[in-house]
Amino acid sequence: MTAVFPAIQDLAKRILAVEAAGGKAVGTPVDEAVRACGKLQVPLSRLTGPAGFSSLLSRALVLAKAEVPSLSVVQVRPDGSLAGFDEIKHGQHVGDLELEKGRVVLVGHLLGLLATFIGESLTRRFAREAWPDASMDDTDSTQKEKQ
Amino acid sequence: MSMQDKVTIRQLPTGVPGLDEILGGGLPEFSFNIIAGAPGSGKTTLAHQIMFANATQERPAIYFTVLGEPAIKMLRYQQQYAFFDHAKLNTAIRFINLSQVVLEKDLDAVLQEIVREVEAANPALVLVDSFRTVVRKAQGAVSDVELQGFIQRLALHLASWQATTFLIGEYVEGEIRDNPVFTVADGLLWLSQQTERNSVVRKLQVVKLRGQGSVPGLHTVRISEEGLQTFPRTFGLTGTGEKPKGLRRLSTGIAKFDELLHGGIPEGDSVLMAGPSGSGKSILATQFIAEGIKHGEPGIVAIFEERPDQYVRRAKSFGFDFDTPQKNGKLEIIYLRPLDLSVDETVHEIVAKVKKIGAKRLVIDSLAGFEMALAPDFRTDFRESLYRMIGALTRMGVTIISTVEIEDVFTAMNLSNFVISFLADDIVRLRYVSIDGQLRRMLLVVKMRGGSHSIDMNEYQVTDKGIVIGEPLRGYRGLITGIPGPWLDGCAQIQKPPNESETEL
Repeated sequence: MTAVFPAIQDLAKRILAVEAAGGKAVGTPVDEAVRACGKLQVPLSRLTGPAGFSSLLSRALVLAKAEVPSLSVVQVRPDGSLAGFDEIKHGQHVGDLELEKGRVVLVGHLLGLLATFIGESLTRRFAREAWPDASMDDTDSTQKEKQ
Repeated sequence: MSMQDKVTIRQLPTGVPGLDEILGGGLPEFSFNIIAGAPGSGKTTLAHQIMFANATQERPAIYFTVLGEPAIKMLRYQQQYAFFDHAKLNTAIRFINLSQVVLEKDLDAVLQEIVREVEAANPALVLVDSFRTVVRKAQGAVSDVELQGFIQRLALHLASWQATTFLIGEYVEGEIRDNPVFTVADGLLWLSQQTERNSVVRKLQVVKLRGQGSVPGLHTVRISEEGLQTFPRTFGLTGTGEKPKGLRRLSTGIAKFDELLHGGIPEGDSVLMAGPSGSGKSILATQFIAEGIKHGEPGIVAIFEERPDQYVRRAKSFGFDFDTPQKNGKLEIIYLRPLDLSVDETVHEIVAKVKKIGAKRLVIDSLAGFEMALAPDFRTDFRESLYRMIGALTRMGVTIISTVEIEDVFTAMNLSNFVISFLADDIVRLRYVSIDGQLRRMLLVVKMRGGSHSIDMNEYQVTDKGIVIGEPLRGYRGLITGIPGPWLDGCAQIQKPPNESETEL
């Protein structure tokens, strides 16, 4: 199983915090994880194509479901968007903490997959492009390990 | 139109060592180019190297990927090269995936998409990888004329937007003819990869380049962690003036040998030192280098058969300190023994060292070892390559001694196994002779292109101080066969050497 670097997990938490703080604008997806993945979809689809992004997200979801089984109802739609978070939220079977964990794990795995392929430095560049106003900088964990 | 009226075409650096020289100065700005070749020949890496060398935030590069290597993997692998600059990604360099447009739509939609991105980003460079895929998708759906129209509109638009364009594609040689893509292109860089026995050789050819003179022929390419490096057939010496030859004589460090050469080796000459194993060729060459260092003339030794530490140790056993001059920048020992080496790479290395230390003397020890280090593909061109190499180095004013091992036969005297004697200005032959039940050594100067030399055949010995030249061998007939006999009764006296026993050329 793909392990997510703590720094990448921190990045996922930061992204989700930015999305949560921003609130939901009219016409945007309700859940912050859905919004976060949607924002990453733009630069990543340009890079890998829509099909490439869907593949990455699907893999991230499989990895996340293994860690957080309550994500089992979440699916990747053919257009690369996520479906199922609203059902979890309103299903009253999953607590807020579990849901929050699911979001972090899913976004963390998506970023982690990207970092596995192209490295943490370039992954942060994509995050910065998707959230230009938010601070996404952190010491590269691979650099930390070297130090 | 006068020369002053003609447009000046700015040339972009490729970022690939050696390639600007091959192209005749660099890439013509706003040109429409194709990088073609077989899989694994280095097309994508070359394209990336050019892109990273030129893209800036103000004039970025757009890299369109189309159904070839997925961009995410391209980034994964390309960032392993030293030229990959993370800071440029998504600022100076943007990757855009065109696969879906190509798969689902027609050529007009592809063109529109490229145009839209180009107009939005104002790029200095546009790259499409793999363009072959775009063409392949279109073929069958549109006629050749329509395809050519698309390529021409693309070329026109990108040139109008002041972009230098590279279409990257996998093609085989037979496809060049009548291919609309190649017709429209201003430049065609062809990369190839040949496998012969266990060696792989990469080469680059500028098949076409409008507007400027490129260096013709196949140039060796090597891919390392630095990216591509090309080795121009001109050895990086384009525009370098030729140094006059023979203005002075260089001492070999063996006074009596200098006498036989009538003062030493003419500066800038190429000397072939031919002889059998154990005859002392390498020692003589070592003395030549040591003598140069003694007189402040830096030297280079290119060795193929023994390691540098062994070479230095052996020199020391004859009383020559090769450690100090190496530290002082007066001596470079180049050890080349990869099995897929090209002559061009070797010469580039030697030329770089010559420039670095200002070398005046060079020893290649030996040509047989050199040939063995080459990829089989290059061995077939060994003579031609040697000709170019020796020419290039002597033009720089370097005096070269190349050793060549010859198997002595005792009926005749060969000069070289390589039929390369014509490459040498001077030829010195060492050989064994059987005299009075002893295997003795004999040296003679066979040829000196630039002047007179002794025609004596002198005996010599290999001592712990190096080569010591003895007296001329007199009174024998058939010395060059190696099995001389005495002149018939009285003849030895009759054959007393006259004063004019020396050639005047």
